[in-house]
Amino acid sequence: MPHSPFKLLGENAKELIPFPHVIDIGLEVVNSIKLNSFPCLPVKNLQMYLVLDGRFNWIINSKHEVLYPGDTAVILPGQEFGGLHGHQDIGTLVRLQLRIEKIDNDGRIVLGKWSKLSKSERLVIWQILKLNDCPVIKCSYLPPLFQEACAEIRDQELGFVTRVNHILDTLLILICRQITRQAGARRDFPQTFTNLEKNLRQNLSHKWTVEEMAAMMGLGTTAFNEKVKAYTGFPPLHYLINIRISEAIKLLKLKETNITDIALKTGFYSSQHFSTTFKKLTGHTPNEFRKRNTTTE
Amino acid sequence: MECIITIEIGTNAVRIIAFDLTGNVIGSSKGSYPTFHVAPDYSEQDPDQMFITMLYVMKNLLNERIHPFHHEVISICFSASMHSVLPIDKHGVALGNAFTWADNRGKNEAEELKNSSVGNSIYDSTGTPIHPMSPLIKIAWLNRNDRDRFNKAAKFITIKTYIIQQLTKDYLLDYSLASATGLLNIHSREWDTDALEYAGIAASRLPDLVPVFQKLNKLRPEYQKSLGLSEGVKILIGSSDGCLATLGGGVWEKDMATITIEDSGAVRVVSKEVLKDSKQRLFNYLLTDKYYISGGPTNNGGVAFEWFAKQFGDFKSLYDVDQVMQQLVQEATKSRAGSDGLLFLPYLLGERAPIWNANARGTFFGINIMHEKRHFIRATIEGILYEIYSIGKTLESHKTISSLTANGSFASIPFCTQLLADIFNKPISIGKNPDSIAQGAYLLAATNLGIFDSISTAAKSVKMATTFDPNKQTNPIYMKYFGLFERLSNKLQDEFADIARLQSDI
Repeated sequence: MPHSPFKLLGENAKELIPFPHVIDIGLEVVNSIKLNSFPCLPVKNLQMYLVLDGRFNWIINSKHEVLYPGDTAVILPGQEFGGLHGHQDIGTLVRLQLRIEKIDNDGRIVLGKWSKLSKSERLVIWQILKLNDCPVIKCSYLPPLFQEACAEIRDQELGFVTRVNHILDTLLILICRQITRQAGARRDFPQTFTNLEKNLRQNLSHKWTVEEMAAMMGLGTTAFNEKVKAYTGFPPLHYLINIRISEAIKLLKLKETNITDIALKTGFYSSQHFSTTFKKLTGHTPNEFRKRNTTTE
Repeated sequence: MECIITIEIGTNAVRIIAFDLTGNVIGSSKGSYPTFHVAPDYSEQDPDQMFITMLYVMKNLLNERIHPFHHEVISICFSASMHSVLPIDKHGVALGNAFTWADNRGKNEAEELKNSSVGNSIYDSTGTPIHPMSPLIKIAWLNRNDRDRFNKAAKFITIKTYIIQQLTKDYLLDYSLASATGLLNIHSREWDTDALEYAGIAASRLPDLVPVFQKLNKLRPEYQKSLGLSEGVKILIGSSDGCLATLGGGVWEKDMATITIEDSGAVRVVSKEVLKDSKQRLFNYLLTDKYYISGGPTNNGGVAFEWFAKQFGDFKSLYDVDQVMQQLVQEATKSRAGSDGLLFLPYLLGERAPIWNANARGTFFGINIMHEKRHFIRATIEGILYEIYSIGKTLESHKTISSLTANGSFASIPFCTQLLADIFNKPISIGKNPDSIAQGAYLLAATNLGIFDSISTAAKSVKMATTFDPNKQTNPIYMKYFGLFERLSNKLQDEFADIARLQSDI
């Protein structure tokens, strides 16, 4: 990258008018320590930092993190963020703050029209970011992307809006890929599979696809299919049906929820779909099952 | 063709295997389920998921390997892992998840009971070492720490009881699995009064006891239909994984023992008498009304090697942990017996037999400047096997062992089996069917069908694939280091307690 990033562009910068979703972007240079200038507070937007120079002691989401040049930090809306000693350390950073419209009911990140990420990608990206407990990412191909985004905004050549938005999407994708890699699905498949399973249970009403589940594990779909089959004995979607039915059984026994609601809560398309799947496996319909379990046997 | 199906409800997965009547495997299938660790010492499983997984695997196996070939299932035999507890309400609804064998939340209760005189007599009567694994301790824990669930519980059952109840309506438990609850008097074969009193329950809150050969009620009609099984299929309650692994390991002669090493491990013998160990180091479980399975369990089998592989293996070029472990075993062969003086105590998960010390921790001892990675690899494997040997030695203080069989994924790695033979200084055989639990369940069902005239004839029918003979040169080397291994394991007691306390404060 021949160009180095420019000074921080903030709220009123005219360069950012085509990018209402970018709150600020650019270089942040800290020359001196200002006491109590950087207390630990919840952040409002999605923040990303790339360290160019210096050493930063931060508290991110109640954990002490030390960042060195080349490291990238990702802080999610709602997470607390500040300096270890209440001030910012001396050094140079590239900073990027993105506005997130909302997180929808299905657990998808809503970024706005500028982003070309698909629904399914936005779900997986948010799940990965949310579950990630290691906000510092060491990855050599992230720094050039920050630099490139800055250069495009400054130079404003043909197609720069498209290019910048594209780079922002790419940043999110590569950060998530690196997070799953750091989590090490290859090294410790059982452990990452346990995490995936926990997440499936928490979002059981979502109609998970194999691509989404594989992405959560940081694996391609072929490798994911093979590994899940070898580890659990089931193809991923069948394993998912196991979880859906076992959760449904619990709800059926509790007698508080009606069958249509149980079907939707546990991720079936309809009570009909629930009923046929349930019967195929257990030999009786959810209704029959519930009746049988209300009498004392 | 007629066939027998065995269903093993294991620690991580259900394994269902179909045998023809002569014992050849004609199909197998498995499905895993998760273990939840919601807090330190907690280890739970979802009984409904286990049931559904079992049904699903069963259905797949029947539809793929049995029905298309017009095989007729004439008997089904169960086995299950030991020590699980599931409280259920008066409608049979599970009150939360089941406690698995690995749940340690009752460690204070266990400590207290173990050091009391009543604890000693409960061990003598029930044959189950006083340990948090024991359902006795788990129920006592619920009584003291989760009063609401304890009071709501109409019964405290095992996962096997739950699954069998779903299939056939009855709440039953075989004497074999019951003898691993710490609540059954293994001499009188009744629930033990002292143990019940300690747990704080009446016998009516436990399942009904039946022999391992007990034929269960008919399969509920809906399952007959969905699985495509006939009304007349004979369902046997069966036994526990540990007892069946011993039977299926072909250990029956007086002076034989079997070594099982998967993630955890055990050394076991069969006899008509209980092994009375004054230090409470060994278990005595019932296989049938005539035979006891006695032995000692370890927490640190293949799991300790897998830990090593995950930390120090080379993941750059290899795809997964199994391949990495294979490569590490390769590297281990490049070091000499005894790892040139590097010693490993494998107590990553605390330890059961023979030291029964939950605070024990892993230790590399004797590292010098010449030691390389290959020494550490070999020392890790040797340490795991010394631990197995120390259980074997405890057993030998009660009875003679002249030969052994080995099974389980770790023990049957040829390098490990050879090492075991060298350390034990005895021949060790590997059975033809690596899955000795299923083999044991098949033998039980086949005996019940009259294919074998007795369970001992059945055990003697087990064929061995290979035998590893001990290497007389290396045994003395291992014995020198084993002496040190034993001394360190005992000597470090105070330090183990201190480090465990420091670790729990983190």
